[in-house]
Amino acid sequence: MSPPVPSKILTDDVSLLMVLIDTNPHFWSSIKPHFSFSKFLSHVLAFLNSILLLNQLNQVVVIATGINACGYVFDSSSGSVSQRAESLLPKLEEFAENDESLSERDDDSGNGVGSSLLSGSLSMALCYIQRVFRSGPLHPQPRILCLHGSPDGPGQYVAIMNSIFSAQRSMVPIDSCVVGIQHSAFLQQASYITGGVYLKPQQLDGLFQYLATVFATDLHSRNFLRLPKPVGVDFRASCFCHKNTIDMGFICSVCLSIFCKHQKKCSTCGSTFGQAKTHDPSASQQR
Amino acid sequence: MADKQQQVVVKRARHKSSVKDPGTPGVLKLTKDRFTFMPNDPSSPVKHNVEFRTIKGHKFTKDGTKQALLNLTQDQGGNYIFEFENFPDRNVCKDFVASAIALSGEAGRTVPEKPAVPIQDEQLSAAEMERRIKLLQEDSDLQKLHKQFVIGGILSEAEFWATRKKLLEQNYSRRPKQRVALKNDMWSTKPLADGQSNRVTFNLTPEIILQIFAEKPAVRQAYLNFVPNKMTEKEFWTKYSRAEYLHSTKNVIAAAAEAAEDEELAVFLKQDDMLVNEARKKIRQVDPTLDMEADEGDDYMHLPDHGLPRNDNKDVLDSQYEPYRRSFSQHLNQHAAVVLQGRVIDVELGDTRSVAEALARTKHAELAKDASDVYLDKERLERISRMTEIEDLQAPRDPAVAPLSIKDPRDYFDSQQANAFSTLGDTVSGAKQLKCSVSTREAYCSLKECISEIKFQGLTEPTINSEVAFKVLNGLAQNISSNKYHLGRNPNESVLDSLPKITREELLLHWSSIQELLKHFWSSYPITTKYLLTKATKLKDAMSQIYPKLQEIKESVQSDLRHQVSLLVQPMLQALDAAFAHYDADVQNRLARSGERPNGF
Amino acid sequence: MPQVKIVAKNFMDMVASLPAMKLDKLYQNAFICQAILRSMPPLAKRYVLQLLFIDAPVTGKMLEESVLADGLSKHKVAIDRLVQLRVLTEALDRKKEATYRMNPTFQMNVQKLIVHGGVLPREPMPSTAGFRLPSLEELDAYAVQQWECFLLHLISSSEAEKATTNISSSMMKVFQRGLLSQKDDKEPPRLTEGGFQFLLMDTNAQLWYIIREYIGNSEERGLDSADLVSFLLELSFHATGEAYNINTLSDIQRAIIRDLADLGLVKLQQGRKESWFIPTKLATNLSISLSDTSSRKQGYVVVETNFRMYAYSSSKLHCEILRLFARVEYQLPNLIVGAITKESLYKAFQNGITAEQIISFLQQNAHPRVAERIPTVPENVTDQIRLWESDLNRVECIPAHFFEEFPSREVFEAACDHARECGGFLWENSKKMWLVVKAESFAYMKEFLRGKKQ
Repeated sequence: MSPPVPSKILTDDVSLLMVLIDTNPHFWSSIKPHFSFSKFLSHVLAFLNSILLLNQLNQVVVIATGINACGYVFDSSSGSVSQRAESLLPKLEEFAENDESLSERDDDSGNGVGSSLLSGSLSMALCYIQRVFRSGPLHPQPRILCLHGSPDGPGQYVAIMNSIFSAQRSMVPIDSCVVGIQHSAFLQQASYITGGVYLKPQQLDGLFQYLATVFATDLHSRNFLRLPKPVGVDFRASCFCHKNTIDMGFICSVCLSIFCKHQKKCSTCGSTFGQAKTHDPSASQQR
Repeated sequence: MADKQQQVVVKRARHKSSVKDPGTPGVLKLTKDRFTFMPNDPSSPVKHNVEFRTIKGHKFTKDGTKQALLNLTQDQGGNYIFEFENFPDRNVCKDFVASAIALSGEAGRTVPEKPAVPIQDEQLSAAEMERRIKLLQEDSDLQKLHKQFVIGGILSEAEFWATRKKLLEQNYSRRPKQRVALKNDMWSTKPLADGQSNRVTFNLTPEIILQIFAEKPAVRQAYLNFVPNKMTEKEFWTKYSRAEYLHSTKNVIAAAAEAAEDEELAVFLKQDDMLVNEARKKIRQVDPTLDMEADEGDDYMHLPDHGLPRNDNKDVLDSQYEPYRRSFSQHLNQHAAVVLQGRVIDVELGDTRSVAEALARTKHAELAKDASDVYLDKERLERISRMTEIEDLQAPRDPAVAPLSIKDPRDYFDSQQANAFSTLGDTVSGAKQLKCSVSTREAYCSLKECISEIKFQGLTEPTINSEVAFKVLNGLAQNISSNKYHLGRNPNESVLDSLPKITREELLLHWSSIQELLKHFWSSYPITTKYLLTKATKLKDAMSQIYPKLQEIKESVQSDLRHQVSLLVQPMLQALDAAFAHYDADVQNRLARSGERPNGF
Repeated sequence: MPQVKIVAKNFMDMVASLPAMKLDKLYQNAFICQAILRSMPPLAKRYVLQLLFIDAPVTGKMLEESVLADGLSKHKVAIDRLVQLRVLTEALDRKKEATYRMNPTFQMNVQKLIVHGGVLPREPMPSTAGFRLPSLEELDAYAVQQWECFLLHLISSSEAEKATTNISSSMMKVFQRGLLSQKDDKEPPRLTEGGFQFLLMDTNAQLWYIIREYIGNSEERGLDSADLVSFLLELSFHATGEAYNINTLSDIQRAIIRDLADLGLVKLQQGRKESWFIPTKLATNLSISLSDTSSRKQGYVVVETNFRMYAYSSSKLHCEILRLFARVEYQLPNLIVGAITKESLYKAFQNGITAEQIISFLQQNAHPRVAERIPTVPENVTDQIRLWESDLNRVECIPAHFFEEFPSREVFEAACDHARECGGFLWENSKKMWLVVKAESFAYMKEFLRGKKQ
């Protein structure tokens, strides 16, 4: 009934690594003088290859995060022979093509880098992980690695927070490696809440070393290792009305929606607020 | 609780023996465990020195009514009425008394008290009081806050608890009222037979009747059918007793004979159809994998005389008497089922008819609940599918989930320093923010170029320069080792843990008190009454007292920790500043408007 | 210096124990580097990755920095392992601190693997070559059949008689060395203690045991063990289910392939013109890292507190293995029901199987549903198995000599002291002046007492 060599032999350090790659073209062209996308890819692909090299049961899935779309571009378990990460390149090209075709309608470039659809790719990663969880009692240990550079899109605040809590609930850590110029408050919170690692490399040309030293660490080894810890986490929320990041704001006393200005009626739950202009403006920087 | 309790409140007041009494002027002195009243006239007999231990409640008149009264009720029913010169005086005393009573209750005494007739909204029942005390005892943080603000006179008892209603309710609802169960001794109709005459007496109490109705639905049904149309209640019970008597003689043949003559009596003597139906239904609900036949091997029933009265010797009787036979075990089972079910009705026991009706109703409702066959079948099927797989081998239904960690705000406390940190970072990056000067088309083009470049050339080799790699590794190692000394040995430790214990506790205390004050402060807006205005002012004053304390903490810590502490303190100060600004703006507004409207509201 | 002595537990341990010269030669093959890397403990893998692109020596302190206090032992093991394998070379810097540098050959090969990937010395057969390749399921079934056949042969030679025909007897002899003992040709060979223990091992351990025997045996047949190891490792990187031309192999390798085919590691297939070999899962699993305890696999045994045992398996092999220590009561199409009894365990103990082996077998093969529980095997069962074993060891027989009728108390006491000195003392009764000493020290005692007499 069961073969002499069981189909699944798993050690504690077998991992399923979901990698979210930021393919925001505006971001990459803005940073090109310092660190081109091809350099980035070269580091990341080497990293993915080394993850696959470490254990033949390790699994890597890559999701590209564009401005208008996100999509799976690589799954090491898809073929019978273990694939190498380079094989994602044609698919990535295809993806960029598709992403571009979606964007052509509103071509208002030139101002700002814009954010990429992190919430979408996070959700896709979580869906994939859920499928793995349901596949049976033996599965590799999943974790998510966000390689992100674009600035946060406050409009995605609610969706991203929901993904973060869902990841936390299914015990999937979200690691974040920020290659952009700014810190990402979203990813800081994501890593903080899910118990992942947040890191913003100082030297981008050493990206591989950062990835290999910090993000290659499997969940089992993390129990006895000390990984870099950020000094602090930016817990500021975005208001639901204008999607601005705010320090202090108004909170609906019924559903806890956050607003930057006083509203007559809560747009989320529809409760109407009291007569006076200052209804319940709690000082709300705490969370 | 020690130091604050030494506080003493001294107010002028009149002691009154009743509300109408003009009263004796004097001085009321309140300390933590007792109050004393000294009349101005030393010769007056009205002197009191009473421990709060003996006081079980207090009442008072509404602000703005004719008299500022405080009425302390004593255990034994006596009470002390004091009239104050003004309401603020009275309120100070009232709050003090409230907390004093709370504390003396905390000392371990419970006050059994029926809720007094409320003459005021702030009338506390002893149960309410107990709940509060219990909460305070369970939660030391809450106790600290209570001590600081309520006993410190910044918030009133009522205000303090008003924001914690939920806490109180939760605590309350946890204890459901216990219902009296049925007696579990069986009512075996032991007839009292006096030797001489041929009379047999049965004693029926309402309790027993309830039990009969509950255990024998047929009797209940018969009662509802026959009484009072066909026969009187007395006749009914006589008939029932006769039937019971016949059963107790175990003379099945005689029973059958009598039943043939008397139709009504037959109802009691025959087997209970309703019970049989019910039993059938129950058997259908039994776990389908449970093999009830297997139990037959357990030889309890076949042991000779298992302590149960048996009538095996009559087994040879004809089947025509079958319906009149009644087994003791059936009776026993039915009784047990009823006792386990508990008292399902809530009707005065005296009225037999209403008892019968109520029982019939509950039974009916129960039946209706699981009567729908579709539902039953579905459930049955479900259960079969669940049970056929051995429990051991069942897969977990869903992957395990961690409890959603919406964390204790305290956990976020140390992370707040990032606020200050990141705003700092924002300004830097704001200046450095790269303008994206290329069009979307160009951007995509260059992206695709990059991809095809690496597609054709392959990965760069070596991926990374040895020196750079070394530098990065070194940097990371240093980062980790510096974190180790700054943030404690354990990666899970926070900045807080690195602070001296006193500073940490002080910070946390201030933090929670600021939270409390801010909560009350903001909730008193918009200011519509004078009361709210004074409350806001009071709160603002209290907050401005904490402000310098935070500064002190900042300066008191060692220089290497000062930066961290100031990062921690920063958000608190920000919140306070916002509150002050709001207060000032509001006051300005009020002043500006006070010209238009005479009293400012 | 490495403090942990290697016990050759699995294939990789054996590689690690090869002499330095051979090891350096092995590292010239990129596939061997990969296999070695995969066999390492997680922390060691991490260090290799960290140092992969660094030429300069790195202090041990820098590596240790990121390890928490309770991981320090793991850190030590990892570093020692790397040094043993000569992947890292240790040196002391000016400040007398240990520094590490990676073996340049190893480093270069792993770098290449990451950037370019490995290239096998032979291409798989093009799909146009004309014959149908077995599906993966068929291949698995073939591997299972071959392997079980081999194991069944061990358990009872008679049963596997017909199946043995396709295992060459010379090979069988190699594989059976140490597992079977045969007093003379007429008597059927019996399983040795090692043989029984072997049966309870998990498949990979068994595979490694066999391969180790095979390699150990190779020198006798004039094969270089390093060549053999490198060929086996290379084989493990061939794709399962693809056919490779046998003509690409050297003569020696061809001989090896034929031997491995008997075990089910590869399947041989005759094409129209050429012959091909198709690696099975058994071969590709050769290089899987298997850290000692953390391996998990699908088990099939449920043990209840009443000592009954349910094994969800249809395999005859499983049944035979369970029969080693349990009484198999009946067999349903997919279920074997048995009981662990005192008698069945005594039989096992007599065959040299230990209680710990039985318990660990039950634990390792626990059905996934019970495997999640703690304990997987009910405690009363494990305790009882251990108790029954210790029952057997309650009385220890030592051949001894009994002395009595000493001439005087002094002589008796001197004799006792002397017996204690030479370590042969067992028992004395000073009242009756009786003394019991071990048989081997009888000669000393006799001499001593003779000296006393004079």
